[in-house]
Amino acid sequence: MSALLETRGVWQRFGGLVANSDVSISVGRGEIVGLIGPNGAGKSTLFNLIAGVLPPTQGSIWFDGEDVTRMPAAMRCRRGIGRTFQVVKSFETMTVIDNVIVGALVRTTVMREARRKAHEVLEFTGLAARADVLASDLVPAEKRRLEVARALATEPKLLLLDEVLTGLTPTEAQTGVALVRKVRDAGITVLMVEHVMEIVMPLVDRAIVLDLGKVLVEGKPADVVRDPKVIKAYLGDRHAVGA
Amino acid sequence: MDKDFAARRRRDLIIAAALATIAALTPLFVKDVVVQNILILTLMYAGLSQSWNILSGYCGQISLGHALYFGLGAYTTELLFTKFGVLPWFGMLAGGVVSALIAMGLGYPFFRLRGHYFVIATIVIAEIGLLLFHNWEWAGAAMGITIPIRGDSWLKFQFLRTKLPYFYFALALCCLAWFVTWWLENSKWGFWWRAVKDNPEAAESLGVDVFNSKMGAAAVSAFLVAVGGSFYAQFVSYIDPESVMGFQFSLLMALPAVLGGIGTLWGPVLGAAILIPLTELTRFKFGGSGRGVDLIVYGTLIVLISLALPRGLLSLFSRPKKTGAAR
Repeated sequence: MSALLETRGVWQRFGGLVANSDVSISVGRGEIVGLIGPNGAGKSTLFNLIAGVLPPTQGSIWFDGEDVTRMPAAMRCRRGIGRTFQVVKSFETMTVIDNVIVGALVRTTVMREARRKAHEVLEFTGLAARADVLASDLVPAEKRRLEVARALATEPKLLLLDEVLTGLTPTEAQTGVALVRKVRDAGITVLMVEHVMEIVMPLVDRAIVLDLGKVLVEGKPADVVRDPKVIKAYLGDRHAVGA
Repeated sequence: MDKDFAARRRRDLIIAAALATIAALTPLFVKDVVVQNILILTLMYAGLSQSWNILSGYCGQISLGHALYFGLGAYTTELLFTKFGVLPWFGMLAGGVVSALIAMGLGYPFFRLRGHYFVIATIVIAEIGLLLFHNWEWAGAAMGITIPIRGDSWLKFQFLRTKLPYFYFALALCCLAWFVTWWLENSKWGFWWRAVKDNPEAAESLGVDVFNSKMGAAAVSAFLVAVGGSFYAQFVSYIDPESVMGFQFSLLMALPAVLGGIGTLWGPVLGAAILIPLTELTRFKFGGSGRGVDLIVYGTLIVLISLALPRGLLSLFSRPKKTGAAR
């Protein structure tokens, strides 16, 4: 079976800065893939290219057997790509349930049906008790979960998570990890950008390490963390000696 | 929770029906023509503000140029009536359609602008419209159009002996705008609009067609405002560019909503019920020498509201929501 998501020789230049150079990755159906790398590696850029915030300078992006390189974000959502934002973007003046209903309305225009779906998703993400609270009144960890809930309501095939586990307390992070597993068990493929290695590594099936805009290493998490190139990229030359 | 929600919507509908009934009965007790006049204007502005609220409150695209659509409604109706003998009812529809089309035509370039830039564009466009009508000979230019008396009937939508029919039409317009808002509030469009207002980028990522949401809101909003303009023209029976397209109309559509609670179902009605009588009374009291006193009133109100109750008077009544961490 072909990969669910594929980037083929993707380049992104911002003026003189090359954020992604010749990045080719693929994500198979049902996988949890971690996209990691030190700051400035080009993770967020690649993430935004996949989500459809901007088109790549060069190369193509394929989703579910279709070229989506130039497709706008809203259309990609309809095709089955859901995403969260690194800096949360809740609809602050709307209640939690209403936030999620917006997502559910991609699949149905019947309000009763969208509302039912939204409740189901809130149950799934553990936000049910907060349904009628304004999004602006949520604590940061809840806002992260709301981002996930909203994206899940669009019934994605692929869920893109942008640092959903970063900046949480250890307990909150564990709840987050459990939620990501649950999402995958529900049959949704997950691609997550993260830079907290110790949380992501046990969670993902496969890790792709970006450095300086290029794919550095790709493989099983256990192999990736031992790879001298990865250690060098994160910690510098000295630590790579003897690895 | 679903039951709460359905109950709240039903309650809104019942309150609206009750208020409309009470309003419909007031002419039985209020015989004073001056007061009736104020009531008519209050209802009209409530309806207009409610319509403005669809684009600017729900969808978040603040327009200070809605006078353009008001004027277009008035002019379309009266030009068709005086030049071609088309009944005002059809003129009213035509005005609505013309305004909706122009709103979308303008939205095409201007919905790419954000925040203050969009507001400035709306002001400028309305001023250009005003200038065009000032110089359009065929449409009466600065002299305006005096609407000829063709009869005293609902068919011609002209009433000479009593103001009551105007009162009931204004009430109907207000109810229509309220009901359209109520209905759209719980529809895909209503949700899309609020999402676009709060965060267009997030909305986009959830499959919301941001651009067309704005276009839809603009069309509905402009259509209803134009119907109001067309009504106003019949009501005052004389129009010129300033008297139907002046900047004050843009303000008088925005202010009630802002005062009562922008982006809320009841805000515009509440705001209009307070602001319009206040304006009319100050104008009545200070007469010709008091030109500008109403502007002082607006200014003071805006300052007070933005300082004390940025979400409008309605926020006084809303139940405080439970806040803080969950479980």
